[in-house]
Amino acid sequence: MTAFVRTTIEAGVAVVALDRPDVRNALTPDMLEAVREAPSVAERDGARCVLLRGAGPAFCAGFDLTLCQDDDNAVGVLLTGLSHAIAALRDGPLPVVLCAHGAAIAGGAALLGGADIVVADASAKIGYPVLRLGISPAVSAPFLRLGVGDGACRTRLIDTKIHDAVAAERIGLVHELTPNAEAAQAKATEIARSLASKPPSAIAATKRWLNELDQAAGDVRARALEASLSLPGGAEERERLIAMWNAGR
Amino acid sequence: MSDAATLTIDGATATITLNRPDARNAMSADLLEGVAAALDTLERDGEDVTVVTLIGAGRAFCAGMDLKSVLNDPPSSEVLLSTLAEMTLRLRALPAVTIASVNGAAIGGGCGLAMVCDIVLSHADAKLGFPEVDLGACPAVVAPWLVRRIGAGRARRVLLEGGVMSGERAHDLGLVDALAVDREGLAALTNETVQRIAVGGPQALRATKALLNEIDGSLDEAMMRKAAAISAEVFMGDEAQSRIRARFADA
Repeated sequence: MTAFVRTTIEAGVAVVALDRPDVRNALTPDMLEAVREAPSVAERDGARCVLLRGAGPAFCAGFDLTLCQDDDNAVGVLLTGLSHAIAALRDGPLPVVLCAHGAAIAGGAALLGGADIVVADASAKIGYPVLRLGISPAVSAPFLRLGVGDGACRTRLIDTKIHDAVAAERIGLVHELTPNAEAAQAKATEIARSLASKPPSAIAATKRWLNELDQAAGDVRARALEASLSLPGGAEERERLIAMWNAGR
Repeated sequence: MSDAATLTIDGATATITLNRPDARNAMSADLLEGVAAALDTLERDGEDVTVVTLIGAGRAFCAGMDLKSVLNDPPSSEVLLSTLAEMTLRLRALPAVTIASVNGAAIGGGCGLAMVCDIVLSHADAKLGFPEVDLGACPAVVAPWLVRRIGAGRARRVLLEGGVMSGERAHDLGLVDALAVDREGLAALTNETVQRIAVGGPQALRATKALLNEIDGSLDEAMMRKAAAISAEVFMGDEAQSRIRARFADA
């Protein structure tokens, strides 16, 4: 387990908080593993809804790329962990509300794909700028395409521009906008508690059926991870990643 | 033939009126039978009809499944749900363009019926939504139609949150294509839209609609059978039955 993900149960809601605020909750493999396990742990502990949020000024800035310094395969491990975490949020029986306050960038934005309902403050920055780093965002594509449609999905993944949440709400990537980050946390909590109060069998059956409809044309998630992992990663590339990451902070 | 739904044909335009105003046009076996009879007529004699409008008599569009009629006979809900599922496919498969004129409350399966139509019109104060989960039920039959209409992401939010929304909110989310300010305005908007569409070449309209149905795979019978089975199973479960009984006890 990791100290960087904290889970508490409040009013039937398992509040899963990314808790590494000094680096804007940059994701490690352990954190992704904790997110992956969160839905089944929450269900076991009697929660009826999962609320995924971040501590500090932003939801999540993406992968902790400093890990590349010592590990050739760090990006591959992170991408695999991310793919599994998104799938676990989506496939579990509990509804998932996500509060993308402040910023949800790269791997942080990808996590939105696993949520049923996304809340953000109007000025939150949301985007998938990983092509800039030579990483393919393919792992997000199956979820993003379902959420926003084909046109917006292509634009968002291929163009590395980061938009605010107002634009994300317009395309359906964010479902509820608030004027500020504090209000986003409150709204996400309110929605999660409302979902937790609804009949659990009906919610589970409805989510299961929506998941099945999503995959009526086939499950492309494994293929999407493969596409993201297929890029070569050499020492030179790793240095570039680390340099860019440091420059961006 | 049941008069719980009626059909009028006037040249190239036709209107199906859900006609149980005292029960807010709730879907009873009678009403579904009436709609089925209207579809029979249109399928048989409707080759000159280009536009079909679906509307409710009185103040509501359709209050959803007639829960009262199935309260003491839960297995009959299974028949009702599979009849509704089949009807959505027939309505979608009509060669004519279908317009839902959502004149008032469109709830649950009633809102689902509107979602099947090619074009949905309403007014700002109408109430639309899918409160199925609030009753412990699963909106499986309407889900594929809502997903096609507003996309999988927004549909997920709408169906899991339950409740109902204003016509204005429904317009923002894409459930409704065009919005009038009020009920009177909707009558004018509907008339205007019907006349505009009826001007289109009938063959071209049919070919376009058929292609759209093919692209979105919306005539998938196996999917709708499964949807009806899921809805019925959840509906007959303890959770839904106890909630529905409690609701009628309150009323």
